[in-house]
Amino acid sequence: MTDSVAISGRQDVLPVVSNGGFRREIRRSLPGYLFLLPWLTGFFVLTLGPTLASLYLSFTDYDLLSPPRWAGLKNFEYAFTQDMRLRSAVSVTFNYVLWSVPLKLAVALGLAMVLDRSVRGVGFYRAIFYLPSLLGASVAISVLWRQIFGAEGLVNKLLYLTTGLQGPSWVSHPDYALWTLIALAVWQFGSPMIIFLAGLRQIPQDLYEAASMDGASGWRQFWKITLPLLAPVIFFNLVFQTIEAFKAFTQAFIISGGEGWPIDSTLFYSLYLYIEAFANFRMGYASALAWLLLIIIAAFTAIAFATSKYWVYYEDESR
Amino acid sequence: MTFKLNRRGFGRLAGSTAVAGLLAATGSAARAAASLRLIWWGNPERDKRTIAVVDLYKKASGDEVGAESYAWGDYWAKLATQAAGQNLPDVIQMDYRYIFEYARRNQLAALDGFIGKELNLGDFDPNQLDSGKVDGKTYGISLGANSMSHVFNKTLLDGLGVKLPDSSKWTTAEWVALGKDLKGKLPAGIFFSENMGLLEPRLQTWVRSLGRDLYTADGKIGYELGDLVSFFEFWKMMQDEGLTPPADVQAQDSGKMEESMMVTKRAAFNFLHSNQLVAMQKLVESEVDVVMIPGNGDKAGQYLKPSMFMSIAETSADKASAARLLNFFATDESANDILLIERGVTGDASIRDRILPKLNPTEQKIINYLNLVSTRVSPLPPPPPKNAGEIDKALRPAWESVAFGRAKLEDAAKTYYDNAVAILARA
Repeated sequence: MTDSVAISGRQDVLPVVSNGGFRREIRRSLPGYLFLLPWLTGFFVLTLGPTLASLYLSFTDYDLLSPPRWAGLKNFEYAFTQDMRLRSAVSVTFNYVLWSVPLKLAVALGLAMVLDRSVRGVGFYRAIFYLPSLLGASVAISVLWRQIFGAEGLVNKLLYLTTGLQGPSWVSHPDYALWTLIALAVWQFGSPMIIFLAGLRQIPQDLYEAASMDGASGWRQFWKITLPLLAPVIFFNLVFQTIEAFKAFTQAFIISGGEGWPIDSTLFYSLYLYIEAFANFRMGYASALAWLLLIIIAAFTAIAFATSKYWVYYEDESR
Repeated sequence: MTFKLNRRGFGRLAGSTAVAGLLAATGSAARAAASLRLIWWGNPERDKRTIAVVDLYKKASGDEVGAESYAWGDYWAKLATQAAGQNLPDVIQMDYRYIFEYARRNQLAALDGFIGKELNLGDFDPNQLDSGKVDGKTYGISLGANSMSHVFNKTLLDGLGVKLPDSSKWTTAEWVALGKDLKGKLPAGIFFSENMGLLEPRLQTWVRSLGRDLYTADGKIGYELGDLVSFFEFWKMMQDEGLTPPADVQAQDSGKMEESMMVTKRAAFNFLHSNQLVAMQKLVESEVDVVMIPGNGDKAGQYLKPSMFMSIAETSADKASAARLLNFFATDESANDILLIERGVTGDASIRDRILPKLNPTEQKIINYLNLVSTRVSPLPPPPPKNAGEIDKALRPAWESVAFGRAKLEDAAKTYYDNAVAILARA
């Protein structure tokens, strides 16, 4: 304070004052930028740089071994007009997203509601239920999945014990392979569950009490209180999980032998992109595919946001 | 215990790092030792032997050698990425399918200038040396020869009193007759053979025994659509007759040896490259042995092929040192005492004579097998054209759409054939 009083007394040196203020401003924020430096470096070098490079590469022929050659719109033209395998990749991915996301959210919400009670040891159960998500889309889990859904896997052993039927090898049958991956996604309901739990805690208890007084059933309370008040959280989870599902890679890579087997039935978009880039050495085309995926994801997110005003209600706004 | 860093500790840490850096700098200046990188694909057994040889070389030469190993499936992606980054390892294990592509894109160093100096190849079989040539220059030194084969469960067949005929002469029909004969006698769950309708090398022996090949010398498809239809029809018949496992069981094999029908005890016959017998025997309790692949006509379907090469990167900073390391693998006695024939049978005559008596019974079988094959081989096919790898991988989904009854056999064959032509045109 004393500084600024002294300066304001000397009007003739105003430019110098603003200059000194600028310097001081830098001096004051410099440590902040220094602390940010690791992140900034990471962002520019590891994220923005490669992103821009891939935008350039998407307009080239690039086989990794020789320098990229400008190809104009050829890659995009091929993707839209000729690439039959891309069509199966898109259809597999859409199938996966449309089934795995709602199922996963439903399971996450159901369990969150069960765990949103003051039962003894509830913290322990929460940790247990979160565990699958910690293991995540790891290689080990995908390998485990291959075992569970194999011809002599756990699933078929249970099936045989309970019904006497001999099940197929689920992971390697084109009719079921994608469903084992959807099951794997649903099983990893942990992070949306935690977010739902936090959301449930935000709902005022007196609403439920008032509803009970009026004789509303639990089912009715769920539809009329829980769901509407949870809408922002559902919306967040929906957008987030949709993006994640579009980007799914590791599970399919491990379970399908890295090739979308059997018969392209698990050929996820990002897996196909990887195959084109690193197995078929078409990095230019793969870059174009990556940008198309970005546009697809952006479109879906935009649709979610556009529809949100009809079903997402925030407490601090009036309708 | 927690790690607390105070001013004095920080000074010590910084000081010691600097000293270590200085030491490293002076060390390298004093000895002028090369720092090399070696990369290969393989299996745990190969890794063990290769690393032992690398250690031996480090001691003998004083050079530093960094070793990187990957499974076949990941190897080429890794290599291409490193090539794009101008960061290829100095010494690279190479395959016949890829050596042309890498050499013609100036990623590999021509080795002719080192032959007779760093590379001491006087005892090397000239045919094997020639297999590493691209456009008249040597880009890779063959580490051994091998051939395709059918591996079979010898313990099982011996137990059933089966005696296999001379496999250098047998026909597909005889092999099927054997399968039908054994069908009721094999233990439950074990089929006569794995289904090979998805294997391109098996398709290759099929069309070669008809006098054609996968590719022509000018890089076109070398067989006819009808050949592919007959190939699919054959393996569909094998599946329908119950001589091979059902489609979903066969599809559990993603190409790793430990998932193969032989190792998972579902088949008495399996496809195998002969040098892999060592690794296969380690995974199977029963005794296994190899026989030649039955043919369709009077032409030989098989050939002796270079199992792999070692090459040097064009970007290597010290090609002479890299050549010395390569030479150690190809011709050094103590190194080959460790490597033996895991990568294939070496082309160096004196080394071969030296290691033959040291071989175990399994390795001996490989030698006997290659001797048998060499009585009935056709010449090495022309190198596969660019994008051949993609066509190879497309065979499996094409076959599976037949095996799972998703497509009519003729349609699946035609789609695959047209697709292969289109992929070549796109290259």
